[in-house]
Amino acid sequence: MLNRRSFLNYAGMAGAGVLMNRVNPDFFIGTARADVTKPMTFLSAENITGNWDPTAHTTLSQTTIQGFVMGYLARAPMRPEDPQAMEMELATELNLLDAHRFEIKLREGITFHDGKPFTAEDVKATFEYGAQPDRPAQWYPGPTDSFEVTTPDDYTVIVDTTKGGYGAHMFYFLTAYLPIMSAKDIAEGPKGALTQRLNGTGPFKFVEQRGNDTVMEANPTYWKGDVTVPGVVYSFVGDATTRMLSLLNGQADVIERLEPEQLETLVGNDEIKLSKLVSVENKYLWFRCSKPPFDNPLVRKAAAHAIDRELLLEVLGDAGAPNSNFISPIKFGYVELDNYPEYDPEECQRLLAEAGYPNGEGLPELEYITSTGFYPKTKEYGEVITALLQEQGFPVTLNVMEVAAWNERLYDRPGGGPGHMIDCGWMAGSPEPDLVLRTHFHSSSKRICGIVDPEIDAALDAERNAPSLEARKEVLATNLMPLLADKVPALSLFTSVMIHAMRSEYDGLFIYADGLMDASKVTSAA
Amino acid sequence: MFILRFLLRRLAQGALIIFLVSALIFTLLRVVPGDPVRLMAGGMAPEALIEQIATDMGLRDPIPVQFTRYMSGVVQGDLGQSFVRPANGAAVGGASFDDSTRSARAEVWDLIAETAPKTIQLACLAMVFALMIAIPIGVWGGLHPGGWPDRIALYCSSVFVSLPNFWLGIMLALLLSVKLKLLPAIGYGGFAWTILPALVLAIEIAPFIIRSLTVSVAQIMGQNFIDIAGVRGLSRNQIIFRHGAKNAAVPLLNLLGVQFSMLLGGVLVVEFIFDYPGLGLLTINAVMQRDFPLIQGIAIVTAAAFVLINIVVDLLSTLIDPRLEY
Repeated sequence: MLNRRSFLNYAGMAGAGVLMNRVNPDFFIGTARADVTKPMTFLSAENITGNWDPTAHTTLSQTTIQGFVMGYLARAPMRPEDPQAMEMELATELNLLDAHRFEIKLREGITFHDGKPFTAEDVKATFEYGAQPDRPAQWYPGPTDSFEVTTPDDYTVIVDTTKGGYGAHMFYFLTAYLPIMSAKDIAEGPKGALTQRLNGTGPFKFVEQRGNDTVMEANPTYWKGDVTVPGVVYSFVGDATTRMLSLLNGQADVIERLEPEQLETLVGNDEIKLSKLVSVENKYLWFRCSKPPFDNPLVRKAAAHAIDRELLLEVLGDAGAPNSNFISPIKFGYVELDNYPEYDPEECQRLLAEAGYPNGEGLPELEYITSTGFYPKTKEYGEVITALLQEQGFPVTLNVMEVAAWNERLYDRPGGGPGHMIDCGWMAGSPEPDLVLRTHFHSSSKRICGIVDPEIDAALDAERNAPSLEARKEVLATNLMPLLADKVPALSLFTSVMIHAMRSEYDGLFIYADGLMDASKVTSAA
Repeated sequence: MFILRFLLRRLAQGALIIFLVSALIFTLLRVVPGDPVRLMAGGMAPEALIEQIATDMGLRDPIPVQFTRYMSGVVQGDLGQSFVRPANGAAVGGASFDDSTRSARAEVWDLIAETAPKTIQLACLAMVFALMIAIPIGVWGGLHPGGWPDRIALYCSSVFVSLPNFWLGIMLALLLSVKLKLLPAIGYGGFAWTILPALVLAIEIAPFIIRSLTVSVAQIMGQNFIDIAGVRGLSRNQIIFRHGAKNAAVPLLNLLGVQFSMLLGGVLVVEFIFDYPGLGLLTINAVMQRDFPLIQGIAIVTAAAFVLINIVVDLLSTLIDPRLEY
């Protein structure tokens, strides 16, 4: 007969049985630490998307993972001393045949990780697929029907932009940004292999996604020769302190997006090396230009003159560099703009009065949205901006949000995005300026600020349609950029300085200006 | 018959509690700001598309209709699919559109089943550590009420309860992992990764056990049957461990039941600091991403665990003290 004691005994035994099935016994016998030949562990501040198709996202962490696995026609190191330098990779030559024809000569003898030989059909398929209007990562100067790709032989590609009317040079810097996909994967279509895993020609092969860890192993047939690292594990760890502790105790080898205070902690630690790079990312204060009061350029300009960007740089410390343009100094076409709005309270008051809001009277309550937890010091410099604007009479309230809530409010919507101003950076790892300018300021895109301005559209089209890179540079510097500085659809606050920290026993890690890394030739002192 | 009646009654009460928790969580999630569809589809998706997805998913139906639909799945063991996590379980974000090429979503049940064992392991080890810390201090204090062992128990409890767990976690990681290289601290790669977070949790819950033990042992040791036990010729150790400790165990057991349930559902900060991939970290990410089905699933599972643990605690209490009736 069942009594309390026997019931408890049976229940205990049954519970233990269930637990044995649930609990992995490896928990109790697994080794605590790995040896020095282990794959390198990179910790990321940002999570990935649920889709491996490179054209399906603009997420930086996933772009960094692609940098390990995928091949690129060329790479742009984007160092301040020679920001427009291009190094050939899958391409051997990039030739502008005329204003509308761009020729790409390809390297022979390269294969994708699945064994398929790399040829011109892969470049053609990548371009034609990536430029489709429904692809979320809108990187191309125009949709697929605005250009034609021909392949005279297996190792030559010609892009003809005659139909689109824009210059073929628009593809030049893009070659350093577009990961080349396999035509076979693309042909499988939605829900095919392209979305399930990465397949490239790079130094590391994608193995699996294990929870938050992206696991990669060395590609034994890498065209540049032996890969010196057995593998890479790229993991999302949300907390900055946790990432730093991991680096300090040797569990992680490389971490990114260090806060300035963390940098101070690590300086002088013999076990850690630091890398500081002027990045390709600018941070912006985006005005919601499609609704009052920032639909009035005078009010936008007044707000820009109220902000002392030198103060912001003091708050940022090592994490920011000065900038007087809408693109990073390492982008093609960057110039210091003479008419870029500087801190000038008197000019701010003059513009406010001209706009009909003397001393800010009559302005509606304004919401300034920013995030905390991803970009360094956003809350701190957000408070400075808020105080400066309030000083000039702008009735601003700062709304600091966790990343997901901020992200939900980030982009433009019909009638204008949420709030009146929002903080965000924009990083596109190529010298190509239109990855920022056209993306944000052309009325066909207007991602965040929502501006619709025929003059800006015309200036953007003019630089895109320039017959050569030299002509384009001239149009950018004398027409588009001064116009943007005059209309201020957003205020570029500073250029981000990317700070990485790594274990000092490693040598040879190359970090690009957008955070992508080449770990194929890393050697260990041990 | 007692067992059957007891179980039926308590399980019915438990089912009601779980139902109420589910209804509360379900409703709150839908009235707080933050549209999950905007996060799923991406910020750049047009409004019409957002509305279309929301309508297709039934998220624009009245809350009672949505809740009825959800609960009909739950009673069949279907907790639904995560809004954002792919089948490989990665924490995701930043998708840019309602892209038809997005991969399959993870089942909520699978995500919970993968992470819960790690949290159970962490909770069990934390409980063991807490008992190792608290029993000597608490019993010693209880045996000398008003004396300096009692004061030490009080001071220890005060110090432990005053330490913020995030600060303690970072300090212990710096000391034991970074400086002394004794233990791994971040993530999960085996049993050793559980020790540091368990230690932090143990220090967090030990004060409650110490105070409970001190008070109950002092109370028991002042009872007549303890005085008489000496007359019966029992040694002091026999009196303490056979009679005193056993009787003091009932309130302790109830406290441990509550603490263990709290550990299962509330180790958010510690799991976040140590990047420990258990239910707590899963919950934080789910909340950040407005992943309604995952938040609801975790709430239901932790509520069920709370109910079951309390039933087990009550049964064990009656085993120790048959006079108790529940």
